[in-house]
Amino acid sequence: MREQALGSVLTAFYDATRCPATVWTQREVGQPLTLLGAVPHAAPPATPDLDALPRGPESISLDGPAGRLMVARVPPAKRAWLVLGPDPTTGLPLANLFRFLAPVVSQMLQTALEVEHAAAELAERYEEINLLYTISEILGRTVRLEEAAATILKEISETVGARKASILVHDRVTDTLQVVAALGIRPEDAPPIAVDDPCSVSAQVFRSRHATIVDGAEMACDAETPYRNGAMLSVPIMWTSPDGGEPLGVVNLSDRRSGQPFSAGDQKLVAAIATQIGTAIQNTRLVRASLAQQRLVQEMHLAHDLQMKLLPTGAVVAPDAEVSARVMPADSVGGDFYNLFRLSLNSTGAMIGDVSGHGYQAALIMALAMSAAAIHAQASTDPTETLAALQTSLRDELATTEMFISAFYGVVDRRLGELRYANTGHPHAFVIGGDGDIQRLPALDPPLGMVTTAPHGSSRPWATNRDLLLLFTDGVSDARNRADARLGEQAVLDMVTTNRTRPTTEIVERVFAMLSQHMGDVPPRDDLTLVVLRS
Amino acid sequence: MSFTMTKHVTVVVVDVDGQLIVGNRQELKQKVLDELEKGERKFLIDFARTGYIDSSGLGVLVSLSKKIREQGGELRLANLNDDLKTLFELTKLDTLFQIADSRERGLESF
Repeated sequence: MREQALGSVLTAFYDATRCPATVWTQREVGQPLTLLGAVPHAAPPATPDLDALPRGPESISLDGPAGRLMVARVPPAKRAWLVLGPDPTTGLPLANLFRFLAPVVSQMLQTALEVEHAAAELAERYEEINLLYTISEILGRTVRLEEAAATILKEISETVGARKASILVHDRVTDTLQVVAALGIRPEDAPPIAVDDPCSVSAQVFRSRHATIVDGAEMACDAETPYRNGAMLSVPIMWTSPDGGEPLGVVNLSDRRSGQPFSAGDQKLVAAIATQIGTAIQNTRLVRASLAQQRLVQEMHLAHDLQMKLLPTGAVVAPDAEVSARVMPADSVGGDFYNLFRLSLNSTGAMIGDVSGHGYQAALIMALAMSAAAIHAQASTDPTETLAALQTSLRDELATTEMFISAFYGVVDRRLGELRYANTGHPHAFVIGGDGDIQRLPALDPPLGMVTTAPHGSSRPWATNRDLLLLFTDGVSDARNRADARLGEQAVLDMVTTNRTRPTTEIVERVFAMLSQHMGDVPPRDDLTLVVLRS
Repeated sequence: MSFTMTKHVTVVVVDVDGQLIVGNRQELKQKVLDELEKGERKFLIDFARTGYIDSSGLGVLVSLSKKIREQGGELRLANLNDDLKTLFELTKLDTLFQIADSRERGLESF
């Protein structure tokens, strides 16, 4: 391109002046001269002696084989020369022709040089843009940060020409910078760097949040020896959140192949990459946190399912009794429970319990109470003995956890027409008579775990197939609506009394429908449990 | 929801303002235990401004009562509203605490 344009100018010059002209250049020091253009075309010129060419701006005369030549360096190129002569047949003075042609050639060379620089710069930018693009792609493809970091380091170090490169990420627990990827360093030789290390470049960059270029001897530090060889470029990895910037780590480059110092351009490029790495680190952390959260939710679901499986269905006491029951924990797991036992002939046991508090701790005590109650209920048909044995079994656990259990346990004996019961602090236990009469079965003792004295018992007549035993926990009567109003015990009693002749399943359905309507979208504060028994 | 401690001659009176529930029971417990540690032995908890106590709150009252008794002291309650009185009766917790109708009667009872 450059040669073509120059050739046209030289041809026009020769046509007008009949003066031979050549333009020579030396592309690199130590290389021979290259011909950029020459007129007339018929006779290729002899290459001038490089040493004879002038180094300064002044023109000189040289004697060539065909006569006197005039030679001068053409600015702005440091190593380009214009050679005119021998004198043309037109008699025009060589000096005048030189004054005419030299500025034109100079202008052309300058333009060519600028284009060359622009092309080189464009090529360099292209390389950088390509690198950023590659890194975006790497980060977009992978969730594993360590994998991405190793690939990114390889790409950066190739572009910048660094033999040693590392990505260090801040560990909040130890407050150190730890290597997640390294090039030119063996992992076992790359120790963590304390954030408060006074001499480490990485630590200083992390603290100050500003990139630094240090030369070979500057800030030599034992902790950092494996990471550098001579000059080092260290750039913070930042995460920009709505609350401001947060440093996450550093990118270090050292041991440059060219031996050249790092430039402001290198720093700018690595800073752009560091921002992308910062976003990737943050995304990885969010993904990990989200996975952990998902696992926790799955475990809670599993625990909920397990807890629900501990609760029996009414089938275990059929056909002596028709029982329907439901538990709705406030959290995934809760402290409410009920249990049903088929005892000796014609006898059915029904227990309801509310472990103080809810969540995991209450659920563990609940599971313990369920299994202990199942063992003790089989040993006796006397509710007092069963609750006393349960109290003994749970005493240590209840004492150490400072929890207690309000429990009601009743045994209906169809044959004798009798309900025997013990009640340790359970407030909502009733018998609904066939005529709609409501009898509370009050607590005879404080909740299990509050006292060490043995529980008391009581009994009352039972109208077979007519009376209903109604047990529920305070979560049901205390259920709040949006206006923070409680459902109340009476509403539950009214609903059950009105539907007392219906199947127990239907009664439970209706109470829970009422609860659902009352609470709307207000989540329950406590576990909700309801048991209805007919025998 | 707050707990205010004042000393009336030899009795530490704790005013509970709001509900006593799972979320604040530990605060009440710690405040009372700190006073017990300092040598106080007579405590009166006034529920005049309390509408609701959940099962965890009841648990803390029982636990405090035990700890105070172990140190030779006593915990009494005052000003339970009708709902709370019923709750204490229904759960037989009224057998574990001495409950006064007013703050003055509570203080006199020590």
